Amino acid sequence: MDIKLTEEQSQLQDMASRFMDKECSFDFVRRMEQESDIGFCRDMWAQFAQMGWLGMIVPEEFDGMGMGILDLVVLIRELGRHVCPSPFLYTAVLAADLIANSGSEDQQRDLLPGIVAGDTIYALGYQEYSRFFRPEHIKLRAEAHADGYALSGSKLFVEFADGADTLIVVARTGEADSCNGLSLFLVDRNSSGISTKHMPTMSRDRHYQVDFDDVVVPASAMVGELNQGWDALEPALHKAVVAFCAYTNGAGFEMHEHATQYAKERVQFGRPIGQMQTIQGYLAQLIIELYGADMLTLFTAFQIDKDRHTRGYVAKTKAFSAETVGHVMDVGSQIFGGMGYMEEQDTTLFLRRGKQYQLALGGTEYWEDVIAEEIIDREPVVLT
Amino acid sequence: MDFDWSPAEIAFREEVRAFIAEELTEDVAGSIFIDTPARIEFVTKMADRGWLGMGFPEEYGGSATPVPLAPFILNAELDRAGAPIIGKNVGTIASTIYHVASEEMKKDFLPKIFRNEGQWAITYTEPNAGTDLGSMQCRAVDKGDHFEVSGMKHFITSAHFCRWHWMALRTDPDAPKHKGISIFIVDHDTPGLSLSRMDTLGREGTTHRTNQVFFDKMKIPRSRLVGEQNKGFYYMMQALDYERFAILSFASRVRRFDNIVGWFRRADLNGERPAQDPHTRRSLARMAARVEVGTMLERLAICRAQEAVPDVEASMNKVWGASIGDEFAQLALDLLGPLGGLWGGEHSPFDGALADEYLMAGHARVAAGGVDTSKSIVARRLLGLPNALGKPELPQR
Repeated sequence: MDIKLTEEQSQLQDMASRFMDKECSFDFVRRMEQESDIGFCRDMWAQFAQMGWLGMIVPEEFDGMGMGILDLVVLIRELGRHVCPSPFLYTAVLAADLIANSGSEDQQRDLLPGIVAGDTIYALGYQEYSRFFRPEHIKLRAEAHADGYALSGSKLFVEFADGADTLIVVARTGEADSCNGLSLFLVDRNSSGISTKHMPTMSRDRHYQVDFDDVVVPASAMVGELNQGWDALEPALHKAVVAFCAYTNGAGFEMHEHATQYAKERVQFGRPIGQMQTIQGYLAQLIIELYGADMLTLFTAFQIDKDRHTRGYVAKTKAFSAETVGHVMDVGSQIFGGMGYMEEQDTTLFLRRGKQYQLALGGTEYWEDVIAEEIIDREPVVLT
Repeated sequence: MDFDWSPAEIAFREEVRAFIAEELTEDVAGSIFIDTPARIEFVTKMADRGWLGMGFPEEYGGSATPVPLAPFILNAELDRAGAPIIGKNVGTIASTIYHVASEEMKKDFLPKIFRNEGQWAITYTEPNAGTDLGSMQCRAVDKGDHFEVSGMKHFITSAHFCRWHWMALRTDPDAPKHKGISIFIVDHDTPGLSLSRMDTLGREGTTHRTNQVFFDKMKIPRSRLVGEQNKGFYYMMQALDYERFAILSFASRVRRFDNIVGWFRRADLNGERPAQDPHTRRSLARMAARVEVGTMLERLAICRAQEAVPDVEASMNKVWGASIGDEFAQLALDLLGPLGGLWGGEHSPFDGALADEYLMAGHARVAAGGVDTSKSIVARRLLGLPNALGKPELPQR
């Protein structure tokens, strides 16, 4: 057992860190929040493509690098440190993995090189008007149609929908209120019948409501088998979730550094506040949680790459990383006293995101249910 | 990065598991202490295999380490099985003797420790020197060829079955408090040393006791001074870094939590199935994630230990392990409703053991350098925050 990064992983981390330091300042993030129509920067996306990042997990035969989720996690943690706004997660992880593992040969050949080259950006249409993340709650219908399928209904929280070229839409084609009876469609963002509406969030990111009014897609737009969309989506979603955890862990580490630095510099009662045991206790507790979340994320990514049964571990990773990022952003902000809540303060970029990260891609209740299924309803798989 | 155990590591783990399957009888299991003839025999069998002196030179009775992680694999397996572990005798006392003691003392005591020839008590704590060990007052007065001691210590856990005390005493009352303490090896049967029992919480026979130790003009030969006079505080601090890690394996907590989950999976209370109750399920699920984090932090400390003393990681382990133990001891009782208060009897899951655990769960947070002290270690050594005097106490990583 050896938990040191490999030479290659260290280089990747350094390269990502240097790039992000240079290109993704807090000012840049604020500009994306306030001035961008799409919420991310297309020039930066092109640079991601040039550096090969978008093809990291795409098989080499489709122009990718054929690397693992563990490598990806090392990279995306650096993006998280800078709360870098980009559709990386949905495009280079979710779509890339979904198409590579469940796409038809035609889809793989036609679509994967476009991801690697940075030509096609994907967004995920999954969540609907519900408190819950479980696939049972999906109601958007896809009905058989002379030209394929016709989609009707609404998706919420489709991140970067306006900047995307293709929407991955999870639609109900069969049995109601079940994870069976769902199918996946790749829908051209510019199809007629699609309209979008921005959903304002605390993060000032770009989430959209996407309404589908009889949007007709060809049968070839389906990924995976009819009514078995969840079986295709779940493993890809798990990889995206682990990557997202790496991103939120990175954000947590960065926030923690700022809070620690402030605790060393801020003088009250004639001494730096970081000298007080209460402040030390907060900062120590948070860094312990971050180390734990980070190790769990790396461990789970490693096990995914080994193709082991990781459903319970993904769920534990998400449940804990989510709780951690929420906690770090909340308590970390309080270290700054009143300044922690001033718009001009850069750490508010983190505070505004923490809770939202916690709730994204399945909140605590969803992932705790998955853990319960894995440890109570079946014989738990223990990876050591 | 490779989280898998190597074939050699797996082979050693299998060897340990086979040993445990063969030797861990009912009268051995259930305690980490080496306090009964059966437990002493169990540990001596490990000593016969060379497992106590792993990594120490042969001239002191040590043996080669079959794989670098072997000591941690061994302790994790022992702890998981509820067996006595390779604890303070090796982790604190042998380590310190090896690093600081005279050649004569090394040749005398290290082989005895590695052969399990007698048990040890760590005799530091006083009523007015707990977390703040530097404030200890019990004097060892230098009389030339010996030191004379009068006074007392308490919370001396293994004193009622030990052969030797690893004892810290004040040797210079005029020096700054951290610079006037020395460590001694004291025979338990030295004239002038006596014991008084202190009972910890728990039902008779289910838990262990601790002790007060009294000294009345007790004489310690100068030859039993460990290392340099007045350097004792620094030896204790170094050893605590090893101890937090060596003595605190997370595996037993995983086992206890798995047992709790197992009970809730199977339980049927007059037709009510806890396994189907959403609140019970989510509570156990949340705790499962937190328990997994403990395993991860332990893994981090183990890997760090390959390169350096894992002082920060050991403290992280201490904080998380003790906190989680407390959390799930509480949770288990919460989920049982009124049954949680039972201290034995037919309706009590695990015959009252959950209540025993609950009562002592907070103790794990305060023992061996409490959780809050450990957090300050993390804050100062990892994060570089200043200590109470405004200076970083130790070089930051």
